[in-house]
Amino acid sequence: MPKKRIILAKVGLDSHDNGLRIIARWLMDRGYEVIYAGVYNSPEGVVKTAVQENVHAIGVSFLGGGHLFYADKLLRLMKENGVADVALIAGGVIPPRDVEKMKGMGVAAVFTPGTKRDVILQTVDDLLERPRNS
Amino acid sequence: MSDDSKIKINHLEGEKIRHFKSLSGLEYKRIYDQNDWSGALPDAGEYPFIRGVHQDMYRGRLWTRRQQSGFGSPEESNDLIKYLLGIGQTGINMDADVGTKLGLDPDYPLAQGDVGLQGTSLCTYEDMKALFKDIPLDKVSSTLIIQPPCSAIIMAQYLLMAKEQGVPWEKLIGTIMNCAFTQLVGPTFQANTAFFPIDLQVKIALDVMEFLLPRAPRWNIINVNSRNIRETGVDAVQEVAFVLSLACDYIQGLLDRGLGIDVFAPRMAFFSAVHMDLFEEVAKFRAMRRVWARILKERFGAKNPKSMWCRVAVQTSALPLSAQEPMNNIVRSCIQTLAAVLAGTQSIHTTAYDEAYCLPTEEAQKLAIRTQQIIAYETGVMKSVDPLGGSYLVETLTDEIEERIWELMKVIEGKGGFIRCFKDGWVEEQLNEARYRMADAIEAGEQSIVGVNVFRQEGQDTEIEIFQQAPDMQAKRIEYVRQYKRSRDQEPVRKALDFLYETVRHRPEASLMEPVTKAVVARATLQEICDAMRAACDFKIPA
Repeated sequence: MPKKRIILAKVGLDSHDNGLRIIARWLMDRGYEVIYAGVYNSPEGVVKTAVQENVHAIGVSFLGGGHLFYADKLLRLMKENGVADVALIAGGVIPPRDVEKMKGMGVAAVFTPGTKRDVILQTVDDLLERPRNS
Repeated sequence: MSDDSKIKINHLEGEKIRHFKSLSGLEYKRIYDQNDWSGALPDAGEYPFIRGVHQDMYRGRLWTRRQQSGFGSPEESNDLIKYLLGIGQTGINMDADVGTKLGLDPDYPLAQGDVGLQGTSLCTYEDMKALFKDIPLDKVSSTLIIQPPCSAIIMAQYLLMAKEQGVPWEKLIGTIMNCAFTQLVGPTFQANTAFFPIDLQVKIALDVMEFLLPRAPRWNIINVNSRNIRETGVDAVQEVAFVLSLACDYIQGLLDRGLGIDVFAPRMAFFSAVHMDLFEEVAKFRAMRRVWARILKERFGAKNPKSMWCRVAVQTSALPLSAQEPMNNIVRSCIQTLAAVLAGTQSIHTTAYDEAYCLPTEEAQKLAIRTQQIIAYETGVMKSVDPLGGSYLVETLTDEIEERIWELMKVIEGKGGFIRCFKDGWVEEQLNEARYRMADAIEAGEQSIVGVNVFRQEGQDTEIEIFQQAPDMQAKRIEYVRQYKRSRDQEPVRKALDFLYETVRHRPEASLMEPVTKAVVARATLQEICDAMRAACDFKIPA
């Protein structure tokens, strides 16, 4: 079975990527193919890459408070580009009230600081278990 | 979640911790005695200043309570500054948002989602005046957290504002961070070089320092930033070795311009982190003072003792702060603050307990200031200078850490200095290694964080009040700068920016303070000024 692909990116100017780098390594160790887009991405660029690379999930992380702004923008762009079925996964410093808000908007999973490795990997496994378009 | 609690407690055996290593990997011995350390110490205020840079330390004057502040618009931040001064903050610590720090206006597409989030949004001279409205610049000291190239712009604005207030520059007290290597979160090299050429950043840092020295003699010309280095996850030894090596590069830069060491060294200072390992942190600052004093005296030939003072502003580390059970962070930052006081630092920002979630609320800010006040006014720990001096343990640790700092500094020097190492990618390798090492140590339980990897309770989330920005703040700021650029007199702006462009392009030796000041006076925005310099180097930024 070909490896499932995940793009990991920081969007906007917040360059706190410690968490995202570590997640990248954990996902690769788990057998995922990680496209690490690094920092300073525009949401448009992330979605474009997601389409081109035919990814199964987009992972983004936030520390500066831009999570609602960018989740909204990414979900809108994903719909416009016909990849609304790709799982958008978010992580980082996100207050509890916004976690619920983001899930309501359509973010598939939100990981806040201190989430254990096993929990993250299991959740990603479960999310990507189902075939796309289901 | 079977492995939630890494520490298995057998109540019959008693509770035991897993190892006796310090946070930086030094081994704590069972007990320390005169076989480990026996010696004499110089008085505080005496070379090499291991016991403190002043003879009386906090007996003469308490450390400055300096909480970083800044969010949203400059008007909102002005209210916050006044609130903080009202409850006992003793110095202003202005933090700009990330767009401002990178030289981007709020209307730049990539900057729009981050406007006003991690600091205040500043892009015009009028913004600066709004930020400092009703604040007498000769009465309060200000730290301006901004790096080059924008340190030149913000400093020019501050000086212009002082002139308008009728405050002579000789009376200004404060610090401009002005360190070219502060954007260290994330991919260090990229973060520092994506929005401005690094060599020009260093040059502008030197321009700012050279400009300030004769004109604002009480102003600190740089805060060499090691806190942002430490917060990536490196250890205490790396933190100090990296930052002192970087400081040596700045010194060399100023010497190369023909300035005397005793002219500028007394106006240099540091910004450091304080982590959780109390004795190690105290030892770190004591060792740092001794190393710095020796470098200044022996390597650079300083004569003025003030040149040898290692003055440090600190912010307690946010790395050990947890989103789980956030109230625990109050205890953590209190211990870190205590460490900073026992170490004899000059100013302290106590990180607020809710910063694992967001910018601090007013209530959390107040608690952070109260933490410092309780330590200052109730505990008595500040009543004697260097209270841990002479402790077998602390002196041994100080010696050990000092030795390791020298070793690592030699390695860096052998590779051509910190800036060379940074450009070669060596620094980034070191930081990345440290990041993974720390994540592994926490995941494996080698480094304990209570409520996170030990004594964790699932499903027991504490709800705390969380800071909320005004919902239309970003849109307003974007509209403000667009309107501003439309409605000013355009001709002087164009002329000033052309002059700046020409200077960067054709007179690479010339100081940029004059053309930047002209552009500020002409009402060019922060990004327009940076863009003129970028264009002059044919430099492109991420879109």
